[in-house]
Amino acid sequence: MPIIEAKSLSKKYEFYRKQRGFAGSLKSLFYRKKLYSEAVKDISFKVEPGELVGFLGPNGAGKTTTLKMLSGILQPSGGSAQVLGFDPSKREPAYQKQFALVTGQKNQLIKDLPAIETFIVNKEIYEIPDKEFNETLEELINVFDIKDILDIQVRKLSLGQRMKCELVSALLHRPKVLFLDEPTIGLDVVAQKNIRDFIKKYNQKYKTTVILTSHYMEDIKELCQRVVIVNLGKIIYDGKLEDLIKKYAPHKLLKITFSENGIKKEEAQRFGEVDDFTPYSCTIKTSREKAKEVAVALLSSNLPVDDIVIDEADVDDVIRHIFKP
Amino acid sequence: MKKILTIIKAFWQRALTYRFTIFAYRVGEMGEVAVLVLMWSAIYGGQHTISGLTLKEMITYVLIGNIFYVMIRNFLASLVAGDIKDGNLSMALVRPMSYFSFIISREIGRISVATIMSILSQAVVILFFAGSFIWNFNILRILLIAAMVILAFITELLLSYLVGLIAFWVDETDGLYATIERVKKFFSGGYFPISLLPLAFVKVSFLLPFAYSFFVPAQIYLNKMSLMAGVKGLLVQIVWIAALYGIIKIVWNRGLKRYEGVGI
Ligand SMILES: Nc1ncnc2c1ncn2[C@@H]1O[C@H](COP(=O)(O)OP(=O)(O)OP(=O)(O)O)[C@@H](O)[C@H]1O
Ligand SMILES: [Mg+2]
Repeated sequence: MPIIEAKSLSKKYEFYRKQRGFAGSLKSLFYRKKLYSEAVKDISFKVEPGELVGFLGPNGAGKTTTLKMLSGILQPSGGSAQVLGFDPSKREPAYQKQFALVTGQKNQLIKDLPAIETFIVNKEIYEIPDKEFNETLEELINVFDIKDILDIQVRKLSLGQRMKCELVSALLHRPKVLFLDEPTIGLDVVAQKNIRDFIKKYNQKYKTTVILTSHYMEDIKELCQRVVIVNLGKIIYDGKLEDLIKKYAPHKLLKITFSENGIKKEEAQRFGEVDDFTPYSCTIKTSREKAKEVAVALLSSNLPVDDIVIDEADVDDVIRHIFKP
Repeated sequence: MKKILTIIKAFWQRALTYRFTIFAYRVGEMGEVAVLVLMWSAIYGGQHTISGLTLKEMITYVLIGNIFYVMIRNFLASLVAGDIKDGNLSMALVRPMSYFSFIISREIGRISVATIMSILSQAVVILFFAGSFIWNFNILRILLIAAMVILAFITELLLSYLVGLIAFWVDETDGLYATIERVKKFFSGGYFPISLLPLAFVKVSFLLPFAYSFFVPAQIYLNKMSLMAGVKGLLVQIVWIAALYGIIKIVWNRGLKRYEGVGI
């Protein structure tokens, strides 16, 4: 039984184009042309309990819109969704107590108070029993190592510290489903890794089902076995990350280093398409099947090959390739 | 109930972190009332009464009326509008508590610090003008006024919330809200007693909710209005509270439809 199911989910935003200048504003008081933007078009997917799925796609692809529909913030204009057996758009408290939405852009914490105060407010809003609250909080505090910052006003915290607290406040009610919309946005690499490690650990320990969006490939690579790629409101890929590479990157990369006096570019080009060329190292692109052959040919040639590594194409490259207009 | 108290407490604490700003505003408020008192003294000149009020009564009207005013007012409209426009409403919609209860509790917590400081500072102004202030300790009248002020507080919260919801349809709300505030204050008798205006106007005012947050309780305090008339006023207030609650339900549902559709 899937825990999340989207059936032909669609969202059309209505909006009006603002006319420029005062005359334009005046005109729009009486007449405004209604415009539509189709943010999500006929999206269907299923997520099994405990899965950690990555939503990937360029700006404006419709990721946030999809998560908003799954959380019940937006009403779908077509299709339907089911999460934990509920229709999110009904906003039933029984559903709301079982999921959480965390976004890197919108904060929930009360800025002028220490994070602990928001936690206490959330405890009441989610009607968490004292005992459960204390246990969960203590555990989360330890995992995130935020004991020392609990009593500091949230606005005095660094972005990374704040994000940790945001996550804690969203997890206090032990959600079964977690929607994370760019949780690592704007964080430095260390903080990103912290958050990432935590999500991974949390998912493994509690079998929480997670949908995550991110523009940082590291997040997706490290966390998600499965990716859903969205572009222009449509799903263009849904499957394992490795399969994506195989499907969309028919080539492999040979990373070669040379010793002695190095080589000339033309010499390398005999073996395939050359990238990142220096006399002492370069990358040669070959088709998947030919990778071994080329490597052997390189070794038996008269070039001063020091080392060869056969690598999969970089996910970033693959994604870039897919999104290329 | 515990939810509400916890939220009130949290935002009360938050307000305390701004106690100096809040205090600074109070200084301005005190100055404003003092100026009003001096202004009326000048206007009276040699005159004995203006529209049935002696100078002493007029000064008492201003001083006691402003105490009611600071007890009753809130700043909910811009808070609600901000949540709608910045999309904070989205985060509120995913929580198992209605936005209405959340934001009302939040506002009560938020304004309580300012309200208490205002009451104290207005009391200081009264002491300053104690010589011109009429004391009235009639217990029935005080009870009636208390009930009226409580109802006016609720009315005002609902009204502000409703005004705040305009942000679902209108992008720029600040100017609009400032204007609405002025109109409300005018109808409430906050600028001058509405009894100075034509009788028809006064009659209409008694059917509107605004006069009950300044003019009517002040008149009751000054023994210018009978207890019976006051009790009738309470009924008008109760009808308004019910009506506003109904209107809010309708407007909220329509606004939310738009929020869901447009995403705002
Ligand atoms: N309130 C709105 N009114 C009209 N159009 C909107 C609104 N919100 C989003 N859109 C449009 O819907 C599309 C999808 O937006 P969405 O925010 O879901 O993208 P996203 O995948 O989350 O992008 P990003 O990676 O930049 O966060 C975009 O084309 C955007 O312009
Ligand atoms: Mg987004």
